[in-house]
Amino acid sequence: MDIFNALMMGFAAAITPANLLWCLVGCALGTAVGVLPGIGPAVAVAMLLPITAKVDVTASMIFFSGIYYGAMYGGSTTSILLNTPGETASMVTAMEGNKMAKSGRAGAALATAAIGSFVAGTIATVIVTLFAPFVAEFAVKLGPPEYFLLMLLAFTTVSAVLGKSTLRGMTALFIGLAAGCVGLDQISGQGRYTGGIPEFLDGIEIVLVAVGLFAVAEVLYAVLYEGRVVEEQNRLSRVHMTARDWKRSIPAWLRGTAIGTPFGCIPAGGTEIPTFLSYAMEKKLAKDPKDRAEFGSTGAIEGVAGPEAANNATVTAALIPLLTLGIPTSNTTAILLGAFQNYGIQPGPQLFTTSAALVWALIASLYIGNVMLLVLNLPMVGFWVKLLKIPKPQLYAGILIFATVGAYGMRQSAFDLFLLYGIGVLGVLMRRFDFPTAPVVVGMILGPLAEAQLRNAMSIGEGSAVVFFQRPMSITLIVIIASVLVLPRLARYWGPRKVEA
Amino acid sequence: MTTSDALADGPSDQAARAAAEAVLPQTLVGAGVLLTGLALAFGAISISSVAGYGGVGPNFLPWLVSIMLTVCGGWIIWEARSGGFRELDAPTGAVRAYWPGFVWVSAGLLLNAALLTTIGFILSCTLCYLLAVQGLRRASGQPSSGAARTWVMDIVTGLLISAPVFWMFTQFLAINLPGLTSTGWF
Repeated sequence: MDIFNALMMGFAAAITPANLLWCLVGCALGTAVGVLPGIGPAVAVAMLLPITAKVDVTASMIFFSGIYYGAMYGGSTTSILLNTPGETASMVTAMEGNKMAKSGRAGAALATAAIGSFVAGTIATVIVTLFAPFVAEFAVKLGPPEYFLLMLLAFTTVSAVLGKSTLRGMTALFIGLAAGCVGLDQISGQGRYTGGIPEFLDGIEIVLVAVGLFAVAEVLYAVLYEGRVVEEQNRLSRVHMTARDWKRSIPAWLRGTAIGTPFGCIPAGGTEIPTFLSYAMEKKLAKDPKDRAEFGSTGAIEGVAGPEAANNATVTAALIPLLTLGIPTSNTTAILLGAFQNYGIQPGPQLFTTSAALVWALIASLYIGNVMLLVLNLPMVGFWVKLLKIPKPQLYAGILIFATVGAYGMRQSAFDLFLLYGIGVLGVLMRRFDFPTAPVVVGMILGPLAEAQLRNAMSIGEGSAVVFFQRPMSITLIVIIASVLVLPRLARYWGPRKVEA
Repeated sequence: MTTSDALADGPSDQAARAAAEAVLPQTLVGAGVLLTGLALAFGAISISSVAGYGGVGPNFLPWLVSIMLTVCGGWIIWEARSGGFRELDAPTGAVRAYWPGFVWVSAGLLLNAALLTTIGFILSCTLCYLLAVQGLRRASGQPSSGAARTWVMDIVTGLLISAPVFWMFTQFLAINLPGLTSTGWF
């Protein structure tokens, strides 16, 4: 009942005309950045972070969340019509959705993606509503050793497990941690790696890293390597699903949600694993030989419905670790954490008591935003498709103007614009040589927090590392970290042997 | 090598040649990571080691990061020189980079950084847009990219994006962006 009352109070705060407008603008902007190539939700939120200086915290968090999950809806449109996913979460949608579009069923693919996103987003929001307060209550009992180990788990999964190469993932993580070291040490106040440059005393802004790695690097990469790439756009057919499409989509949406939600809740990062798992499951479960034959040929609707639902469920559920533990599990949630920090708010278990009004307004806005996005993406899909007609040179050059606002607007320093260029060049190298970028962002934002927790934990243990083995939760976390490091390697080692046998 | 040579090569020859060509750039990437690790270690020397009660001082993370980056750099060099990066996805786009386009976009970004506080946001961002769009047009092989009409069109488009962005952020969101005048409109 408490949760219900709190949620109702959240709705009361979220449905003020100003907040509704912020939500609508966020959802529309999110859909646009999802549709447009070269710009994703992380960079859009990062470029707009300077608004935190002026806009009220509730309004800006509602706005940023709208961008965050709006991009998931928009991303599917590009995947289906162009076969170039607007963001990584839509990679699997591109596989079957594009094939459906090529065989004249773009409308059905877009409809199942949008409705599936709505269903999954709403179910996951209910789960956030019901479980986040309990996780927060539990998290209050965690001390610095457990927090440090949770962050270590996030580092491990994002760098060593999710990517293809552990070496390149680790390198990216340590580059992020190095960037996080720049500035004043938060416990002793000592300057580190400032090189006598006053701007470095404040550290490197997360906005610079996100905008540099994602926006500037994208433009530089496009001009270097992708100038002559010609994309073919599929024709948009009527956005409509037949009774048979509904029958095939509904179970796939529910299965996708069931797969995606737990992945969002754990600090494992990324939507790639749940979307691929959902795709594999749908392919395996397709019993009817006719439906089965559609996979990889003319495009199976379950192959769009399941992964789209999984990706939206993951993205929504990722708010649980962000809000209750203060741990971001993706690029965008890392930037959202930065937005909270700009207001002097540190997400974590105390957030539900110290900033209850903000949290519940944010959760209520997720329900409202999902309805807005369904309306924006079904009847208005033709409008978003027109965005794909913007020529790439003008689009990419225009992105640089917004990148300037984001980078300069944070602390009015032209030095940051030079740094932005340097980070952009680093991003090009990382993309060309297949280094993942998420570990850089997560390492940079979580690095200083993890370091503080480590030092606090060691102080509690009076300089002894035994403190990490003294409580059941910390031992459990150590076992989980060891498992995520060892089990995939064992599976890789034993897998081929079994096949050979 | 002539085109006929290339055509005569089988797929395995081409893959072997691509792998051989990748050794130097991949080694340079590893060397860059290694040097970064060493530079960070050099910087860590000057960071205080006063650990206080917990035994972990402000130099702990810098040392950890520098050692790990040095190890990663060495490992990357070893991978590059022993068959190339493992589990590497082929990069998207063209094999050869289009450097003139890169110079145009870089000039736009760097001039923007240098001139923003002098000539104001609108003019500086218009210049950045103009140079970047010219580079991108050339990269996509548009024959009219150097025509006077295209230049004028790009300047106007740059102004039409920069000015409303400037007004939106300075007038409505009260974010401090540099103007040529102190009116807040230009």
